[in-house]
Amino acid sequence: MTDIITVKKLVKRYGEKTTVNGVSFAVKEGEVFGILGPNGAGKTTTLEMIEALRPIDGGSVMLDGIDVKKDPAKVKRIIGIQLQSTAFFDKLTLREQLKMFNALYNSDSDPDQLLAEVQLTEKQKSYVENLSGGQRQRFSIAAALVNKPRVLFLDEPTTGLDPQARRNLWDLISQIKKKGITVVLTTHYMDEAELLCDRIAIMDNGEIMTIDTPKNLIKALIKRGFKKPQHVEQANLEDVFIDLTGKELRE
Amino acid sequence: MNKAYFRAIFALSAAYLRRFFRDKVGLFFTFLFPLLFLFIFGYLNSGNQDLNFDIALVNQSDSSFAEQFETQLRDNEAFTVSEDAETLDAAKEAMGKGEVDTVIELPAGFGESNDQGQPTGSVIVYYDESSPQAGQTVAAVMEQALEGINTQLGQPEPPLTVTQESTATNELSAFDYVFSGLLGFTILSLGIFGLANQMPAEKKTGALRRLRASPITAGQLIFANMAYYMLIGIVSLVMMFVLAIFIFDFSMQGDWFQLAVWAIIGIILMFGFGLAIGGWAKNETQSAALTQLVALPLMFLSGTFFPRFLMPEWLQAITAYLPLTPVIDGFRMIMTEGANLIQLAPQLGLIAIWTVIIYVIAIRVFRWDP
Repeated sequence: MTDIITVKKLVKRYGEKTTVNGVSFAVKEGEVFGILGPNGAGKTTTLEMIEALRPIDGGSVMLDGIDVKKDPAKVKRIIGIQLQSTAFFDKLTLREQLKMFNALYNSDSDPDQLLAEVQLTEKQKSYVENLSGGQRQRFSIAAALVNKPRVLFLDEPTTGLDPQARRNLWDLISQIKKKGITVVLTTHYMDEAELLCDRIAIMDNGEIMTIDTPKNLIKALIKRGFKKPQHVEQANLEDVFIDLTGKELRE
Repeated sequence: MNKAYFRAIFALSAAYLRRFFRDKVGLFFTFLFPLLFLFIFGYLNSGNQDLNFDIALVNQSDSSFAEQFETQLRDNEAFTVSEDAETLDAAKEAMGKGEVDTVIELPAGFGESNDQGQPTGSVIVYYDESSPQAGQTVAAVMEQALEGINTQLGQPEPPLTVTQESTATNELSAFDYVFSGLLGFTILSLGIFGLANQMPAEKKTGALRRLRASPITAGQLIFANMAYYMLIGIVSLVMMFVLAIFIFDFSMQGDWFQLAVWAIIGIILMFGFGLAIGGWAKNETQSAALTQLVALPLMFLSGTFFPRFLMPEWLQAITAYLPLTPVIDGFRMIMTEGANLIQLAPQLGLIAIWTVIIYVIAIRVFRWDP
């Protein structure tokens, strides 16, 4: 697999503070790549520099052969972005929004098909402000797919969602991956990263601590002699919750 | 510049318009507010369609014509005749104190018949040096009144005259001032209050940021907004003209096409102010403060609600250079004097200077992010 994104020594400074401090990594074409880390680790800033939304103070980003610093407009055409705080115009129906985004990207995706893919066909005439959190995130992904992107960026897609909506979104992300779209996401849920991501980078204080597949990272940790303090349980509270309330979406 | 560039602009404008028409409160303020203003101010000023002046009338003549003329003058709604000035000196003193705007003297012998048995004479209009406009206006109104009588008398040489060189401002009606002022107000509030609020709100919600994630440029965003505001502005102005024509008997002296061009020029200028404020402001608090700072002086000093000629000379001289003043003057001159765009070159020049200034500022301070 070839690398679709190459990040080299990326730096972002705000005055005295360095939020992203020489980050380097590569994302392979077709994989789901996760950036993990606590709040304030620099995940979003890193992502936004790659997305050409924030000026790059140092280092470089190559995305599908395009230098993001030199040609941000060209990069925006081939990527799909879901921002952390999803915001759309109010008083516009989902269908109208998708048609507008079609025009902004000069693409010709079928709004109905996009809405069907994210299970929002029934909501096509609703306004975004009347959607539930999970619906909103799904719509946001639909809007990010309008230009048939090569890379889809998802910034904390499941934060604030209930367990059903989270699982539903995981399914959606898996489907997107199956279509051959590279996905880069940030999260601070380990279960999510373990389940979805082919490889993950763990960030803290603006630096990448490690990059590997979830399995390898766990193996390496055990090799170093790590033992979980409590015994392994057959189920956890979330399993109980899902067992009782089912996987059906509630919205 | 290609098809894709304009497709994005068009789609964005369409989206803005759609949202606008779904916002009932916004609709009310945008369209009904100016109409309401026009209705109220128009009604207040539509009495005789003339300006109302406080005058002191000094009748030195004892001809019966002078007496008749005096009665007519007292009945004229354009004038409020101050009753307590009996002599010319007393009247002039009252004018000095600002109690009356002008003094009208019917000199001794006024209205006495000539050898053809027709009344002759000259009305003298005294005015204060500090307000020549008032004197000119009163003189003009007097001339009009006398012209009516002259026409009835059918004389080749008018026997009745006014001894005051008046300029061409012979159709100054209060409604004309109010109307052109309110047209200016509509353009001002649309440009400044509209966009200066909208953009920071979009920054705050993140809607603008989401747009930025797409390949559209700041230029496209600005053009889309301009097209959107242009359309609302024109609709709003058309509604005002409809009201003015059907309720206030507004009659257009100039060319409608040139008026439309003038309106577009005015909207582009005022849009620039809204863009500079809205593009710069990070949130609505900032934009609200700056909006007041810019809009209030324009609103009260450019002749929107009060005609500028009522201001002291020195203030008139300064406010002549405010950006909205030439816009309003241009409206009035096209509508009441039938001026064309070439005659409006001085106004056009001033507008051009302001437009360049404000757009340079707007483009420099524009920011997508809060």
